[in-house]
Amino acid sequence: MNKRKVTLAAAAAGVITGVAGLSLAAMPAGAGQPPSLPDVSAESLVQQVLTSKPGAFGGTVEVDNKLGLPSLAEIPQLADGKHSARIWTDGNGKFRAALPNGQSEQTIVNDGKTTWSWNSADNEVTKAEHKADQPKPDEQKAQSVDPAAAAKQVVGLTKEFSDITVDGTARVANRAAYELVLTPKASEKTLIREVRIAVDAELKMPLRVAVLTNGASEPAGTVGFKEINVGAQDPKLFEFTPPAQAKVTTPEAKEEKGRDRRPELGVEQALQGKDPQIFGTGWDTVVGARIPAEAMTQVPAEAQGLVDKFTKKVSGNWGSGQVFTTKVATILIADDGRVVAGAVPEQVLFDTIGQVK
Amino acid sequence: MTTSTSAPVTAPSKTAVAARTKGLRKEYGSTVAVDRVDLELPEGAVLGMLGPNGSGKTTTIRMLLGLVRPTQGEIELLGRPLPEGAEQALPHVGALVEGPGFHPFLSGRENLVRCAAFEPLLPRKEIKQAVEDAIERVGLAQAAHRRYRGYSLGMKQRLGLAAALLVPRKLVVLDEPTNGLDPAGTREIRKIIGDLHAAGSTVLVSSHLLSEVEATCTHVAVLHRGTVVAQGELTELLQAGGSALQVITPDVETALSALRQAKISARPLGDGLRVELAGTSAPQVIETLVQGGARVFEATRWKTGLEELFARLTEAEEAERGMSAVDTLDGGRR
Amino acid sequence: MITRQFGSEVRWMLRRPRTLIGLFGLVLVPIIISFGIWTASDEGEGGGGPPGLGAILQGNGMVVPIFTLFLSLNLLLPLVASIWAADGLAGEAQHGTLRGLLVAPVSRVRLLFVKLFGLTAMSLFAVTLMAVVGIISGTAFLGNDGMMTLSGTTLSTAEGLVRIGLFILLVTFQMVAIGAVALAVSSATEHPLVVQAATMTTIIVFQVLGQFTSLDWLHPFLITTGFPGLIDVMRDPIPWEQIGDSTLLAGCYLLIGTGLAAIRLVTKDS
Ligand SMILES: Nc1ncnc2c1ncn2[C@@H]1O[C@H](COP(=O)(O)OP(=O)(O)OP(=O)(O)O)[C@@H](O)[C@H]1O
Ligand SMILES: [Mg+2]
Repeated sequence: MNKRKVTLAAAAAGVITGVAGLSLAAMPAGAGQPPSLPDVSAESLVQQVLTSKPGAFGGTVEVDNKLGLPSLAEIPQLADGKHSARIWTDGNGKFRAALPNGQSEQTIVNDGKTTWSWNSADNEVTKAEHKADQPKPDEQKAQSVDPAAAAKQVVGLTKEFSDITVDGTARVANRAAYELVLTPKASEKTLIREVRIAVDAELKMPLRVAVLTNGASEPAGTVGFKEINVGAQDPKLFEFTPPAQAKVTTPEAKEEKGRDRRPELGVEQALQGKDPQIFGTGWDTVVGARIPAEAMTQVPAEAQGLVDKFTKKVSGNWGSGQVFTTKVATILIADDGRVVAGAVPEQVLFDTIGQVK
Repeated sequence: MTTSTSAPVTAPSKTAVAARTKGLRKEYGSTVAVDRVDLELPEGAVLGMLGPNGSGKTTTIRMLLGLVRPTQGEIELLGRPLPEGAEQALPHVGALVEGPGFHPFLSGRENLVRCAAFEPLLPRKEIKQAVEDAIERVGLAQAAHRRYRGYSLGMKQRLGLAAALLVPRKLVVLDEPTNGLDPAGTREIRKIIGDLHAAGSTVLVSSHLLSEVEATCTHVAVLHRGTVVAQGELTELLQAGGSALQVITPDVETALSALRQAKISARPLGDGLRVELAGTSAPQVIETLVQGGARVFEATRWKTGLEELFARLTEAEEAERGMSAVDTLDGGRR
Repeated sequence: MITRQFGSEVRWMLRRPRTLIGLFGLVLVPIIISFGIWTASDEGEGGGGPPGLGAILQGNGMVVPIFTLFLSLNLLLPLVASIWAADGLAGEAQHGTLRGLLVAPVSRVRLLFVKLFGLTAMSLFAVTLMAVVGIISGTAFLGNDGMMTLSGTTLSTAEGLVRIGLFILLVTFQMVAIGAVALAVSSATEHPLVVQAATMTTIIVFQVLGQFTSLDWLHPFLITTGFPGLIDVMRDPIPWEQIGDSTLLAGCYLLIGTGLAAIRLVTKDS
């Protein structure tokens, strides 16, 4: 064959390879063939999940979120879209989480005695020394992106109110897993259709949680490992020395400042506050609280605009207020400061809000 | 210096050719630049390529050098088919195509060094010397250190020529080499071509200056509207172009009747007559005249000038376009 | 032979006044950044630099080269790559020198590789130069106690230099990929400005398209999508996934650009 034709063919092959490469990269990674695993009963799998004690591992978690939440500056990982985070744990309570946010990064390290939280965006370290059984807010945040911890919590809270089945197998982060499916019992008045948990066949550790809502075939939210390596992790990961240039503060000081800055977070804080009131059980549990009147009036104009954009004005024999709806949860804020929220349709909230003290 | 005998020979039956084209055709969109060009460039020849503007000279040269792919036809260069054999043939070919092309921010010498770096036949060690030699040869020594940006038209042309002559070549292709040169430069070019010829290189030169071609070339090809209308050895062409004999005689009437009897056409001209040599030869004419009783004082061969030949070959259609061939030629000298 | 041609190509690029001016401009960037951050430090707390990586620049001179390259990758470095690609083929065609090279002869494929090599060598040179000046000016203005990463860990100077070296290679590769596509354009025209305009317009349009979430199906195809991920070099430990993706993406562009340029060159009349 003549040289020119060979050259042209090679060049064309190069172009085609390039284009194919682009298309492949653009295609979502296929799930691949589901692995074949020995049958397992749903009850025993649930039991194993609840009792499994994940050892040391490190991995990358992908949060794929279509909840329709407005993005909160505090937890960018929970805003709509795909986000990833890296977590490492030594299996004994020490852990590190790296939560990238654009070009900056939040790093949370629990070295056993202290929880360090570093945010590169403001070059600031928050240092929380562990005291007996105090909640560590940053740690909770870090764990909210850990599929294993999240799944365990869901299973623990809802197993009695669900029909539990094992629906085949799946491959997650290149590991074989059972698909454990929790379907709310018919009596549950919830927005959620089912929760699918991929449980590692070997470690019995949840690798992925997907929440499916009524009337949607795609999950409203997925938290799962994209990549995981099980086994001892570099101990250096569980140490943290604040960088020389960084400002070091305590969580208390930080909170003070935070409250000044973001009064619009009043709702969230109220619901997570000291004494939320719980109504009902299982999937249609509703959490209620009362926001102090001054917090309601403090909302600045632009924040009010934001609130109005995402909410709908409602009224009923319980009073009037605004309802905020996402695919998996509904929040009702009455004008008098009462707040109720749950993974339920708004009607359930209207029925419940009267009980808020 | 390479001699013509060392060139690869592919057609042993014929005389060796340095380049040959067969049925060459090039279309640019709907424009046919060159059509049915069968060119033969014998080894050791100096071929002058003539033609009015746009007649396809440059296009033909570009195809010969593998710069342009012919739409149809075959090319053979130094015994290799093009474009496949370009890499073997082209190192032996020096070319100056459509004006010199150099980088304005480099000096003449640096430009040549860059050209030399890409010459396959030039060993790295000899680059420096080759560049100096080439500069010397084209008479650029004074300006070699200056930036090309500041060169005059003639200096640019000389530098282009220097690049073509960096390495001893079997074939040198020069597209309008005298463009922009002063009379001295033109003479130098003529000398360079003469030297190349003497050294056995083959030269292909396209030009508008007919006197140039007449003075330097052994062969001529005339292109017109993309086709070759005449080609061959210069002397043969001129003869075939119809030669005549200028006879000086006081006995015009006697001479005319004698020639008419011998069926040789002639007409009075000045103080003698002009005898067409078609179908006869000079000795025969003189014999006829003497026998017929006419006194012959002087008889000179009346050669067709190249200019006349060129005009005849290209002018008929030029006239249709409302411009004479000569006008075109003058217009072509930028 | 080919090394001699490579050498000639690089020498030729370095001799061009435009190249020197461009390199001088590039070198100014890290100096200006260091100086800017240094002056900002006088304004006290929160007087801060730009967001993202900029936030940790204070007192962290080793980050200046990375920050500089990261910023420049969006516009400046593609511009420089496009200029070199434009002069490489379109510029040579414009000056009539391409003909000279082709009848020398240099085979057209070889010519493309010579041009790609020149582009790569000069990109590497420019990026390294920026990084070195960045290290020097960053250390001079902002000080240097090792390199603080986005993850809040502090690397030793040696480790920091390794990261900078890695980043230099990654950025150079992106630049070469852009340059290869620009070479494809360059092979198809005689006007260097067309090449620059086309390349820069593409880069800018890509960046604008990248802003539209409604077009997210398109984003994996845009080379600019890969740029931000390179910042992962500054995280500790390095997450390789995005870096790999960006480099693969650039590799695809490199293949496409080179292939198209080769096709065009081989079929081109000059
Ligand atoms: N790249 C091109 N695109 C389109 N047409 C072209 C191209 N090159 C040449 N032509 C056309 O081909 C024809 C022959 O052009 P060419 O340059 O070969 O003429 P030339 O004999 O060299 O003329 P000149 O004496 O003016 O140099 C002209 O009609 C010209 O317009
Ligand atoms: Mg011409």
